Amino acid sequence: MSYYLQLLLNGVIAGAVYALFAVGLTLVYGVFRFINFAHAELISWGAYLALMFSSPPVSLPLYLAVIPAIVLTAVIGLSQDWFIYRPLRRGSPITLLIASIGLSYMLRNVLRLIWGSDLMTFSLPPARAFEFSGYYVTGIQLLMLASALLFLMILYLLLTKSLIGKSLRATADNLELAAIMGVSMPKVSAVVWTLASVFAAAGGILLALDTNLEPMMGGANLIKAFAAVLLGGAGNVWGALLGGLFIGIAENLSVAFFSPGYKDFVSFAVIFLLLLFRPRGIFGLLTGVR
Amino acid sequence: MDYLLHVMILALIYSVFAMSLNLELGYAGLYNFGHVAFFGIGAYVSALLSQAGVPVSAAMLCALAAAGIAGAVLAVPALRVSGDYFGIATLVFAEMFRLICLNERWLTKGPMGLPGIPRPAWIAPGVDGMPAYLLFTFLAAVGTFVFIRRLTGSPFGRALRVIREDEHMAQAFGKNILLFKVKAIVAGSVLAGWAGTLWAHYISYISPADFTLTETMLVLLCVVLGGRGTNWGPVVGAIAVVFFGEAVRFLPIPQALTRYVAPLQGIIYGGILVVIMMKMPNGLIPEYRRKNT
Repeated sequence: MSYYLQLLLNGVIAGAVYALFAVGLTLVYGVFRFINFAHAELISWGAYLALMFSSPPVSLPLYLAVIPAIVLTAVIGLSQDWFIYRPLRRGSPITLLIASIGLSYMLRNVLRLIWGSDLMTFSLPPARAFEFSGYYVTGIQLLMLASALLFLMILYLLLTKSLIGKSLRATADNLELAAIMGVSMPKVSAVVWTLASVFAAAGGILLALDTNLEPMMGGANLIKAFAAVLLGGAGNVWGALLGGLFIGIAENLSVAFFSPGYKDFVSFAVIFLLLLFRPRGIFGLLTGVR
Repeated sequence: MDYLLHVMILALIYSVFAMSLNLELGYAGLYNFGHVAFFGIGAYVSALLSQAGVPVSAAMLCALAAAGIAGAVLAVPALRVSGDYFGIATLVFAEMFRLICLNERWLTKGPMGLPGIPRPAWIAPGVDGMPAYLLFTFLAAVGTFVFIRRLTGSPFGRALRVIREDEHMAQAFGKNILLFKVKAIVAGSVLAGWAGTLWAHYISYISPADFTLTETMLVLLCVVLGGRGTNWGPVVGAIAVVFFGEAVRFLPIPQALTRYVAPLQGIIYGGILVVIMMKMPNGLIPEYRRKNT
């Protein structure tokens, strides 16, 4: 029994990070109605930039290195929109999609150009595992959980309490109507891209602390974020959050029943079944903030 | 000289692959981002059967059938959704395929891959067989080209284009949209499997690493660069992409810098895709459209 509870615990921790990825993806989808494949690269760029700032020659302590890493990732996210997606928004949606695939490939290769293709890790002291009545959690996993919660709480306050959050939700609900009501589109779009990049970078850094860095890390996690987004109903922020948790838990519990090589299969199967039976998502029905 | 033959064979195989994607993406407007799975299914089925002692020509036919069946199996559920959701469903399908190839070691030997895939009996193995294999792929590519041109010029092809432009109108004309799309995907998958078998028997070694998102990106680039929905577009695109990729090897690059070549190439491929979308979304050969009067 405790074995399953341990897996459940691991699942919640992984799911919290997936939720961070999924929130940004679904926000962008909610407002601009396209799936940004290059979201994957925001995840890996966040992690690599944190590595860069925390290792020589800059050698900032990790908690400080995170700040410029996240800021720079946000710059990447905003320039994606400004230079590529914004001019394309008037064309057919498919040009946006293909451009984002090209951009993703390009950014991934810039990463490989700078840091090479090998696995890299943060040089951290060996992880200590804390024991809570038989269950083991490493300090980094606690950090993952805590910071994911913190970020999501900030998001909640931003979306529900602030004016910009409200206009963002209005835009996601109906872009034209929101524009007619005087919601400033450039402002909303800047906020969406900043949020998406910050959350992706934070998630990427947390994931890299727990595992390692490689140029494909973003791509592998993007599919899980897709699954989470679809579970929640595309465009639904809280749905994506629950979706991320669900994927994390399902994936980790699957290890008890199938070969670990098929761990990623869970999110694939979820996507397929959802598209088959419930393209609108499951948690989309819950009353939540859109 | 042998190297030139090699590049030409690669370009022809990629042309077949790109033409098959163009049938779905260009003519039917179905954004299949998992097309590499059918290429892979063709390669694996053909390789496994021929290694089990089945004659290569029979193995190739079985591979085509397998790719077609897989296409139908994917099409029916995936077509319940449209647009970008269809893109995700197909992308996920390709990753599922890759994961199965990686994990079912009893069948596919997992990440080790399958070495020593035989050539057809009438083609000599190794370098000696290259002129013959070039002829074989050339005929295969010409056959594919003629087949697709006849298909897309037929009433079936016209109906596909109408569906792409306006589904409601096609429906009003009494077309069974789902059936048309399924047929397009099956045909595209069979042809992608065809490209896969040609490739497997030529290169003689396949592994799951050959069927990643990178290949999807490359073939997408071939189609989009050449021109979606045209007969020559994907051929021109494939030739341009393959020759560019191989020409990079001849640049005088110092030994110390060689590790930068592959990423730079990737940056250029990705960059071209973005620039095409921004500057000339119709590609080098734009699809002919009658002017509205």
